[in-house]
Amino acid sequence: MDIKDKLKKILVEDLNLEELTPEEIDDNAPLFGEGLGLDSLDAVELVVLVQKHFGIEIKDMEEGRTAFQSVNALAAYIAGRLAAA
Amino acid sequence: MTHPWPVAITGLGCICAAGTNVDACMEALYSGQRAPAEPSRFTSSHPTRYPVFEVTGFSEPEELLRTSALGLHAAQEAIADAGLDQEMLRGLRVGVCVGTTVASAMNNEQFCRDYRAGLDPDLEPINRIMRSNPAAVIAREFGFTGPCQTVVNACASGTDAVGLAASWIRGGICDLVIAGGADELGRITYNGFISLMITDETPCKPFDKNRKGLNLGEGAGMLILESEAVRTMRNQAALSFLLGYGSACDAHHLTAPRPDGEGLRYAIAEALSCCGTKAESIAFVNAHGTGTPDNDRVESRVLADLFPGIPFLSTKGYTGHTLGAAGAIEAVFTVACLQRGIIPGSAGFTTPDPDLGGTPIEECTKIEGQVALSESLAFGGNNSVILLGTRGAA
Amino acid sequence: MRITIKGIGAVGGFGCGVTDLAAALESGLGRVTEMTVPAAQGPLQIPAFRSETERLEGFVPKRTLRRIDHYSKMGLLGAYLALQDGGLLGSDLSRLGVVVASGYGATATTFAFLDSIIGDGDICASPTHFANSVHNAAAANISIMLGAKGPSLTVSQFDMSVPSALLSARQWLAEERVDAVLFGAIDELSDLTGYLWHRQYGTQHPFTISPLDTDQDSSIIGEGAAFLLLTRMDDNRAYCLIDNIDTGSLPEGKLFSPPDDALLLLGADGHRELGTRYRATIPALSRVACYTPIYGSMPAAAAFDIAAGALILQNGLAYPIPGVAGCNMDGLQVPLETTRVCALRLAGRNEYGAVSLSRL
Repeated sequence: MDIKDKLKKILVEDLNLEELTPEEIDDNAPLFGEGLGLDSLDAVELVVLVQKHFGIEIKDMEEGRTAFQSVNALAAYIAGRLAAA
Repeated sequence: MTHPWPVAITGLGCICAAGTNVDACMEALYSGQRAPAEPSRFTSSHPTRYPVFEVTGFSEPEELLRTSALGLHAAQEAIADAGLDQEMLRGLRVGVCVGTTVASAMNNEQFCRDYRAGLDPDLEPINRIMRSNPAAVIAREFGFTGPCQTVVNACASGTDAVGLAASWIRGGICDLVIAGGADELGRITYNGFISLMITDETPCKPFDKNRKGLNLGEGAGMLILESEAVRTMRNQAALSFLLGYGSACDAHHLTAPRPDGEGLRYAIAEALSCCGTKAESIAFVNAHGTGTPDNDRVESRVLADLFPGIPFLSTKGYTGHTLGAAGAIEAVFTVACLQRGIIPGSAGFTTPDPDLGGTPIEECTKIEGQVALSESLAFGGNNSVILLGTRGAA
Repeated sequence: MRITIKGIGAVGGFGCGVTDLAAALESGLGRVTEMTVPAAQGPLQIPAFRSETERLEGFVPKRTLRRIDHYSKMGLLGAYLALQDGGLLGSDLSRLGVVVASGYGATATTFAFLDSIIGDGDICASPTHFANSVHNAAAANISIMLGAKGPSLTVSQFDMSVPSALLSARQWLAEERVDAVLFGAIDELSDLTGYLWHRQYGTQHPFTISPLDTDQDSSIIGEGAAFLLLTRMDDNRAYCLIDNIDTGSLPEGKLFSPPDDALLLLGADGHRELGTRYRATIPALSRVACYTPIYGSMPAAAAFDIAAGALILQNGLAYPIPGVAGCNMDGLQVPLETTRVCALRLAGRNEYGAVSLSRL
């Protein structure tokens, strides 16, 4: 499973977006506000989920803010961190 | 109501990282001392070490949760400060109203680890929790027969406990109430607040441009609230008065404050209305000031709107955020500052933030006026405010 | 000051809503099911009164519930049902206060937070579980969903949570801080509470609670939420009045004196020691009733007692005591007609909480 598919599965299952399937999530849709409708508590949960599933620590929200723009942005961020490791 | 506002405060007790009694705490505050450090009583596998404000020179008995032992310690000081002895207390209907976040939660990590590992762990950790309800512990120790209430309103618990205690006096439910808050440091809140990403890995900097979050602390604050009938009977002077209490819920978000601070505004308005206190007569505001980006922004903007030019400070730079104890410890500090006529500098603040409503007091400052406000903002959007000071000064 | 109970919202083993509660009280039949508790010797089945919360989706979109745990869901459902019953659903709730009493709080989520640390290390502590495990999470969720901007209070005083919290709720109304209070009690079943139950009572499981039989333990664990919409006395459309709330500790050996002519609603729940305490604390020839066999044993049951008392006063008639055949409390009278009820909760060595209700 590539990073994007894994991320979508995590979003749906671990953030309990029950009415969505992973396939329905648009790669470019904003995760927060209008797009998926996530909020600040989801953001910090997502930090933990990225740590748990990819072993990547996001140290502060400044960093998180850019990474969490969309599934595409987060996947690119994770790929970059994994490559640098 | 059988008893009008205000309600007399006749005793104070406090224990926190700044000191093990009220005088010691005030001395530390006025001299600008603070010593946050890595936790010594527990370990964490977290890669970053976050400083905390531990109480040193205090140990709890085996049979009690540390939280309840801290509460009892502060209650003993407050009762002695009020000149009360067992004989006097026996004839009175005494209630206990205590805020906490940790105590009374069925939350023992070792027990849960062992249970999850398939063992049948010893029940003592659970029995200790059952014995340690912080209000009941105080009532039991002194043989009080009145109502007990453990307020679990997250970080506003201590302020709410004091405000609710006043309503018990006003309603004629109690002659005297031991009111305050208590909380201990532990791995659960430590990890919880780190996970919310509102913890600073350096000493906290309330209202500073470079603030990153809070540091946790522990301790307890207790106040004796007393009816006028009892006070007259025993000819006891009041240290101060509770002049008002207000609380309102943001109804906005579980962990984030409402950006416009509407709930806090309601709570302040309600507290001022109790005795008809005018905003201009407030000498200073003891703010919640946790040092988190959101809290300090919302709170300072509301203060700038409602109390322009009135000095404010946060004492969390000296104590850390003591959660359910915070409102009570800060109520004690507020009364102690009014008595001494001086407020301490807001520890940790150095750089003004143009995004905030103003800057806190930086140095020990003499105050004019005899009324002050102490406020707490909590998880779940609870905003609670108490007004303290001299009767008739409103 | 006297206040009124204007609406009831109840979620428990008996079902959901005041009609289900009244029907269960009428029939005297509790719906005992089972819960599975992981234990050292493998999964155990213990009898329990469990609550369903599906009906909540009739009040709020499912999406808004995605982060809400079972504990808060029971509370939310109880809250909506009480508002609906009291005719305030859809009204402006900006001057509504919310008070929640709970013996143990959100124990499943508290445990889930610990699991996140135990399983994956401190760095994987779940902020969502942490936020929802804070004791006032249910009250906060209720205020947020309803837009209730009055004060919010959560009290955790173990078995005395309900009478203690009710004392402060009444003060809010007396001081005119709010126009109405949504008062509720919540307790939930979880691995932890089930396991502790098992450790205390072992594998001998009763089929039904015989609360007045002090010769044996017959307690069955329950979960649920009982909410009451409280207002100042403003009109006659209410279940009953709350005349008085009294809580504290009784001096050793002192009998509890109920208000004249009141039917004493006992909180005895099959715990042998507790039953014995009731026997030692209430005066001989007291008029009593007890309905814990309908909702089970939990600190929040004290609010179910008050709801049952409110229904009794609305009709002026008490319900028969379920399982009264096993009563060995001599000299107790079980009346039918009554205009006053006193719900009495005892706990610990000498704690008590008494809520006195009367007919409008």
